[in-house]
Amino acid sequence: MKIAVCAKQIPDPANPIEYSSGNVVRPEEQVLDDTDRYGIEVALLLKEKFDAEVTVISMTNVGTEKGIQQALQMGPDKALILEDESLVGSNSLMTSNVLSELAKRVDADIVIFGTESTDGYSGVVPQQVSRILNVPCISYVKNIEIDNDVTLTRQTIEGSEKVKLPEKCVISVTASGVEPRYPNFKDIMAAKNKDVEIISKNDINFEIEQNMNFIEIKDIATNKQGEKITDEGEAYQLIIDKLKEIKAV
Amino acid sequence: MKTLIIGELVNTKLSSGTLEIISKAKELHLDFSVLIVGNSEASNIGSDDFQSTYLKSSPNKLNLSSCSNEIKQIIEENEIKLVLSNSSYIGRDIIAFLSVDFKTSPVSNVNNFLLNNNEITTINSINGGESEYMSLLKSEINFLLIRPKSFDQADISLNDNFKTKDITENDNSLEVFEIHIEEKSGPQLEESNIVISAGRGMVDVGNLSLIEELASKLNAAIGGTRAIVDAGWMPYSNQVGQTGKTVKPDVYIACGISGATQHQVGMKDSKYIIAINKDEEAPIFQIADLGIIGDTLSVIPKLIENL
Repeated sequence: MKIAVCAKQIPDPANPIEYSSGNVVRPEEQVLDDTDRYGIEVALLLKEKFDAEVTVISMTNVGTEKGIQQALQMGPDKALILEDESLVGSNSLMTSNVLSELAKRVDADIVIFGTESTDGYSGVVPQQVSRILNVPCISYVKNIEIDNDVTLTRQTIEGSEKVKLPEKCVISVTASGVEPRYPNFKDIMAAKNKDVEIISKNDINFEIEQNMNFIEIKDIATNKQGEKITDEGEAYQLIIDKLKEIKAV
Repeated sequence: MKTLIIGELVNTKLSSGTLEIISKAKELHLDFSVLIVGNSEASNIGSDDFQSTYLKSSPNKLNLSSCSNEIKQIIEENEIKLVLSNSSYIGRDIIAFLSVDFKTSPVSNVNNFLLNNNEITTINSINGGESEYMSLLKSEINFLLIRPKSFDQADISLNDNFKTKDITENDNSLEVFEIHIEEKSGPQLEESNIVISAGRGMVDVGNLSLIEELASKLNAAIGGTRAIVDAGWMPYSNQVGQTGKTVKPDVYIACGISGATQHQVGMKDSKYIIAINKDEEAPIFQIADLGIIGDTLSVIPKLIENL
């Protein structure tokens, strides 16, 4: 079995996202999106069960590839990344086009994602990749049980449902259900020797175009200048008075 | 503009998000019809005002790929130019599939859209609602994923005037088993007039009993931040924020919540926001109507006692 797991490098989420001409500003050093750690964990659980080969796939601008190293430290075997400055600000379909090509290149049976990135939040790329690859899509997986076979639990609007892992599919994993592993010192050192292949847009079939023109980002006043007091033991009374005033109780 | 709304069912009825989009389409006088995706019995999902078709799958199949093939055909036959859907689990899957078929990227997380001489401008809320991101769409056909609670729900007269089309499986369908319907007790997050939400400041999962007690006194629904949902203190369905639910109650009480962007997106439009937090600098205070700087664990018991 061959598995491709997607890892996105994002600007350090401790800082607010900055935009330039409508695109997220991407520094040279970016970190692994925490959301992807859940997908990587699922890939590694399947690797342990089936002795599968796990390749990290990613599309990124030119940089230190710190986030890719962070992904490899968890335990995948190697990485295939497409580095291309011209793809900064790609829409979801351009991204899924690239990631599908990378998944094909590593001959992946199973392609695994988080549900949405922390900087872009489009939340549609895993499903698009399944459509492009023409394989079943198992979205919003929130639990995995591995015994004789593999059972995935999906989140639905009313609760949940279970499916068995088919031979080929795309999976998106929500941020719960599995506990991403922490690499130890040995893992961190080992990752440095793993194979990271870097290719560019010219190496793949690429035909999708931008279909949105950025107009502007407009700030809206959010500072409400509400009342703010320090509790000295009586603040509860103020809350009750306000709730009465606005007729909530 | 010929428009298609993709709707969905919750407990055999149209979801509130679907009704919000229909309300907006009526307000804009769009030439629209509705396709409803589901797998249960359904009633009251049709209308005399618009054409409504139920695409019905079996509950034992994960069939959204097959369903999307049917929708693709309907879009082509009817020369649809605009497709609107909720940013829900089903909506995201279907719109993503169709976007590949029509080679046009969808716009996710739309909070509003404007029509001007057949041109569509979308508005997304970014930076936790502090800014609006505006784009002009230039595809032949455009797909919009709309965040719940973006539009008010108008009075729509519904009846059983709808057609049903059965969706059969295809090569990408999967067998589904152990379907679990989450039991919903008490007021529901999206509908309740009062929402009480818990964050890391509640310190320990055991302290959530305080939130429950306060909620029952106020007849309120309970929500939580991504951090405490990820920690397993509350089910995913209680999460308020970017990756969770959007709420707009009359009163939102944020207990021990710092107010990260991710959380604010889901609650900033609440009519009256009360925040209790130890940290005077917590961003939640910037959007609160009433901010209490203090220990939520000492304020809540007094509230419970005196309400």
